[in-house]
Amino acid sequence: MASSKAQAGQTLWAKMPKANAELFALTYGSLVTELVRDYEDPIEVNAQLERIGHSIGVRCVDELLSKADSSNLGSAVTQCGNLRDTAEVVSKVGFRMFLGIQAEVGGYSQDQRSFSIYLQENPLSTFVELPTIGDEQSSSSPSGGLDDLRKLKYSNLYCGVIRGALEMVNLKVECTIVRDTLKGDELNEIRVELKEVLSDGAGDDYKEE
Amino acid sequence: MSRSSTNILDRPLGRPGGRAEGSVVSLSAFAYIYSELVQYHQQRAASISELERRLESAGYVVGLKVLEMIAYRAKETKRETRLMSILHFVSSSVWKSLFGKAADSLERSIDHADEYMIIDYEPIASTFVSVPPDLGQLSADAYVSGIVAGVLDGAGFSARVTAHSVQVEEGEYTKQGGNSIPGIPPRKDKAVFLVKFSPEVLSRDAALER
Repeated sequence: MASSKAQAGQTLWAKMPKANAELFALTYGSLVTELVRDYEDPIEVNAQLERIGHSIGVRCVDELLSKADSSNLGSAVTQCGNLRDTAEVVSKVGFRMFLGIQAEVGGYSQDQRSFSIYLQENPLSTFVELPTIGDEQSSSSPSGGLDDLRKLKYSNLYCGVIRGALEMVNLKVECTIVRDTLKGDELNEIRVELKEVLSDGAGDDYKEE
Repeated sequence: MSRSSTNILDRPLGRPGGRAEGSVVSLSAFAYIYSELVQYHQQRAASISELERRLESAGYVVGLKVLEMIAYRAKETKRETRLMSILHFVSSSVWKSLFGKAADSLERSIDHADEYMIIDYEPIASTFVSVPPDLGQLSADAYVSGIVAGVLDGAGFSARVTAHSVQVEEGEYTKQGGNSIPGIPPRKDKAVFLVKFSPEVLSRDAALER
């Protein structure tokens, strides 16, 4: 079952027109740089990155579903029976088809309402280095500014993308980046938690933005 | 996979990030990010020219880095000092490493000796962009013109680079099977990157001529 999704992801990825990953990374970098310059507060930058991701997510889910459909990959991709299926599609098909990377899924909670996506490589963070962690004291200095940047969740875009994409299929989720290679962890981990399964036509309650 | 423990400066630059698969992402992924970049700047820009200027400056910093990256990766350690060679460098090396193909042509302006044009019939940045009528003259490739300006400036050739969308004349450019990206129709506009060098760059080049 799981391997069929990986297969589907590979098929879709092979068909996608490609772009240079460095141009992609540098373009994302210039967006983040601009946000950091405009908002200054890293917490606010994280929120903005999430918002931007959300706007990408609501659109890229359409691309995924329609391309899976037109490639005759069938219901394995387009119809999910439970959150496990959804998690597999997000990681094995979604990440694969758009970014060409291997994403693993695991860490299901007891109640099956949350899971983690593990990324060994992160195309967003090529060439990126964040200020190092270590001197916690200096972060309390009133100046804040640059050394506050270690609160920045550089790849927070992913959280928004996943939230936006799943929202379009009536799953209200919350995502957080719990591990980040930029912060010295050995891999990237995105925690996804299901909050609510929306009923059809519940589109209105996402007007908060 | 000891990437996390290695300092970024210790990682090889040859294979970006150690990624196995030729370091590509989907064009869609790039288009989504680029679209958000444009939208973000659009919200903050009061006019078309300001939006273009903002995109250019976003590209400028990218250009500086791209120049460095390509220069480090090149086997021979040489630096372009002549005007024509830097233009060839931009339209071939830079284009190939960023867009996977060389620019379609490099032309010298007939009217102005300090102006050159780099032409791309399928500019990647505006692949999925349709400019609404109220934004008229906006060229979505302004970001790329910023990259070009960054590369040139980083190499010591300060220049003003602007992007223009120009309608492709019939029969001017034909490619079998329409667009090289399957599924989208052939492009109606080409991107012309107008490079206008500063006077001191021209006089230096003239001095080298002797």
